[in-house]
Amino acid sequence: MATAMPTLRRNWLVTMRAYQWTYFVGTLATGILTVGLAYLAYHSIGGGRAGGGFAAAAGTADYLGYVTVGAAASMFTVRMVLWVAKAQITEQREGTLESQVLAPARRLPYLVGVGLQSLTTTVVEVVVMLAFAVMIGVRLPAPDPVTLLAAFVAASVAVFGISVPLSAIMITAGEAHITQNTLFVAMGLLCGFTFPPAYLPDPLRWLGEALPVTSALRALRAATLDHAPLSAAAPDLLLCLALGLAYLIVGLRLLGPAERVAIQRGGSA
Amino acid sequence: MSAALRVFAAEGLKQHRRIFGSKLVVFSMLLWPVLTLATTYYTVLPVTSAPGAAQRWPLVAEPGRLLAFLAAGALAYTFFFSLVQSAWHFSFERVSGTLEAMFLTPASRMALVLANGSSALVQNAWLFGCFGIAAALATGSLHLAHPGMLAVAALALLVPAVAWGAFLNSLLMFSRDSAFLYTLLDDPLWFVAGVRLPLFALPVWVKAIGLAFPLTTSLTVLRGALLDGRDTGELAGHLAFLAGLSAVLLGLTAVLLRVGERHAQRTGSLQLF
Amino acid sequence: MIVTRELRKTYPAKRTLFRRSGGTETRAVDGLSLSIPPGAVTGLLGLNGAGKTTTIKIIATLLHPTTGTITVDGLDVVRDARAVRRRINLIAGGERMVYARLTGRENLWYFGQLYDVPRATLRARIDELLELVGLPDAADTLVERYSRGMRQRLSIARGLINQPAYLLLDEPTLGLDAPIARDLRAVVARLAQEGVGVLLTSHYLAEVEELCGHVYVIDRGRLVAEGSPTALTAGTRLPHTVELTLAEAAPAVSVAVGALGAEVETGLDAEGRPTYVLRSPDDLAGELATAVVRAGGAIVRLEVNPPTLEDAILAMAAPAPVS
Repeated sequence: MATAMPTLRRNWLVTMRAYQWTYFVGTLATGILTVGLAYLAYHSIGGGRAGGGFAAAAGTADYLGYVTVGAAASMFTVRMVLWVAKAQITEQREGTLESQVLAPARRLPYLVGVGLQSLTTTVVEVVVMLAFAVMIGVRLPAPDPVTLLAAFVAASVAVFGISVPLSAIMITAGEAHITQNTLFVAMGLLCGFTFPPAYLPDPLRWLGEALPVTSALRALRAATLDHAPLSAAAPDLLLCLALGLAYLIVGLRLLGPAERVAIQRGGSA
Repeated sequence: MSAALRVFAAEGLKQHRRIFGSKLVVFSMLLWPVLTLATTYYTVLPVTSAPGAAQRWPLVAEPGRLLAFLAAGALAYTFFFSLVQSAWHFSFERVSGTLEAMFLTPASRMALVLANGSSALVQNAWLFGCFGIAAALATGSLHLAHPGMLAVAALALLVPAVAWGAFLNSLLMFSRDSAFLYTLLDDPLWFVAGVRLPLFALPVWVKAIGLAFPLTTSLTVLRGALLDGRDTGELAGHLAFLAGLSAVLLGLTAVLLRVGERHAQRTGSLQLF
Repeated sequence: MIVTRELRKTYPAKRTLFRRSGGTETRAVDGLSLSIPPGAVTGLLGLNGAGKTTTIKIIATLLHPTTGTITVDGLDVVRDARAVRRRINLIAGGERMVYARLTGRENLWYFGQLYDVPRATLRARIDELLELVGLPDAADTLVERYSRGMRQRLSIARGLINQPAYLLLDEPTLGLDAPIARDLRAVVARLAQEGVGVLLTSHYLAEVEELCGHVYVIDRGRLVAEGSPTALTAGTRLPHTVELTLAEAAPAVSVAVGALGAEVETGLDAEGRPTYVLRSPDDLAGELATAVVRAGGAIVRLEVNPPTLEDAILAMAAPAPVS
């Protein structure tokens, strides 16, 4: 915690002083317009109904609720990944990566500090998006609070987990734009944010299952749309946690070599 | 005229180096649009396969036609958005000092922004364009009144796109926060232009906003000409509107360039807004 | 000839989108009349904020004057901006104004196209310029791999791509390594010999002294002096300094030195020998040497330091002392 708290505090100060409205508006717009698109399609094309075996594939007949939870989760994922995975490459660009590597602090607490701080702002942002959804008439049934909390924790671990190897890739490549957007676009297709992954061809579905966000989404939907008790969501929660931790461990292993590559490149440039 | 053509050649080289030099083009112009297209298709699939959906939108009766409809949207959006990206890059020239070097030259400013936009379009969009044509031919989803409509569709896509690019260049060149405009023109653009939904599904006010963007009408012509077998007679109204809109955009570009440079000459700041 | 008449430039108060933010107008140039003839290097000197860059940018068509006129060979810089742009170019210090993603050669080709340099000569001109700025070996390397100095040299080549009749140089050697700065000075001198009219601003006053036949000195946008560097220095009546060291003390010498009427400072050097430092508006070295020898003194060292242009500029820019 000796590293996590100061990092949290530093990022909090930076966020409060220079809040990046552009990023926020961008991800908020994506969330709102995704829900908006589903809403319009549902009413003017579907006539207020969803077909094509949606209920069977999705585990719920509530198309708008399904998309809304997915859009909120997508916004959460994108914002958290942007914060955590880009923390180190931002330090690299600002020239502070070397002083960070020089300090005896370990990587994990540093990234946890970044993650905890971003969690606070991200939750507020997601709430703004959900408020919009409720405003246009999306109804989310009263969720099971225990399952929801557990799913939220699992989703946080999942997103944090995938951010760490991503950070290693970014500082190794010295590039964030292609890496992050490729991940976002791929997750959009594979993880079931806006449609049931059962629609996908099998190989793609398995690929989606390898990402912890997919099981996190199932648990979140079980909690919000199905009012599922903790026991019912447990398999997904455990899968999500296990995958998230696996990504985290692999990521932490990769960070050391990645930092060396980054600093070497910085030195030769 | 020859001087303007030389500006086009110069900007062509610059855009080629900027865009082609990086691997970005393969991602942003092929991989991302294709994955996004698939995501959009699956997202609307539950409602397009809802009972009675085919009465409201006959096209959904055939999944192939739905996919072609969305693919045309993705194609046109990719073309138009590549110009937003390119204008965003152009705005960096103010910071890097090369905009001042450009303004030192006697080159026509209009030629510069037009050349910049059209070279970006050629450099960026050929990949997805080729992919789109190949996919359309392979799946047999092209439905043309006559082969000449291919040319009409191409012109209806390219001419407004270049006008749009020139307008954005002049807008972002003088703007303080180009990142904000960039964000504003990303997702909202596909939403109001009917890229992922037919226009009839949009509320009137969204449609009204959409008409201000050339992408909307461009896309209507593109879909009409390539997928629905319409001829120029049937599309005349849209084509005329598109021509008018392109002319307005070019007019606005001329005004912005003039006002922007005058402002810079008066205040010493290249930021107009 | 570039002629500016009663040039004034006032920057409007900064404005936000909706309201004036209460700032005041800034007057950067205030009634400046200059002539920049072809075939010579003209200097424009002043302290920071004196209005040098503003003046150069107005001549370069990047800024409009608030009042006053500027003509370049009879062409008005506001009305005939495009024609003027063909005849001039601007090189500013620093490594800006070139594209990192293009090679050196491509940068020059790009700007050559924008200047509409005749196709037949463009290729040869590019090779010539690359040679001139010492970049022939790096011609096909991307500028992003260039060092700072190389970028700046390329920027100088860019400024020459249209064979300008008039070249505006705003701190062109800022941050350049000494040998490269020396080469650049040689290039500027040669261009002037070939008939190009050059306007030069520089912090390195030795550079101005070396190159310029005529210098304008401005302070807070106003012309405070003009003339050749020698005339300017003489005109300030700044003291020449003469330093004298004797082999040994001689009272007669002290009397003789005192009789010269200059401000005298006496002391001892490291080896205990007597020293005299004289300050006088005139160069007293000859008279001093004669007087010392006549008084029987033995001179070990005699050094004369005339006032430099830098001293003169500093004296002119400083507010007049209250007496």
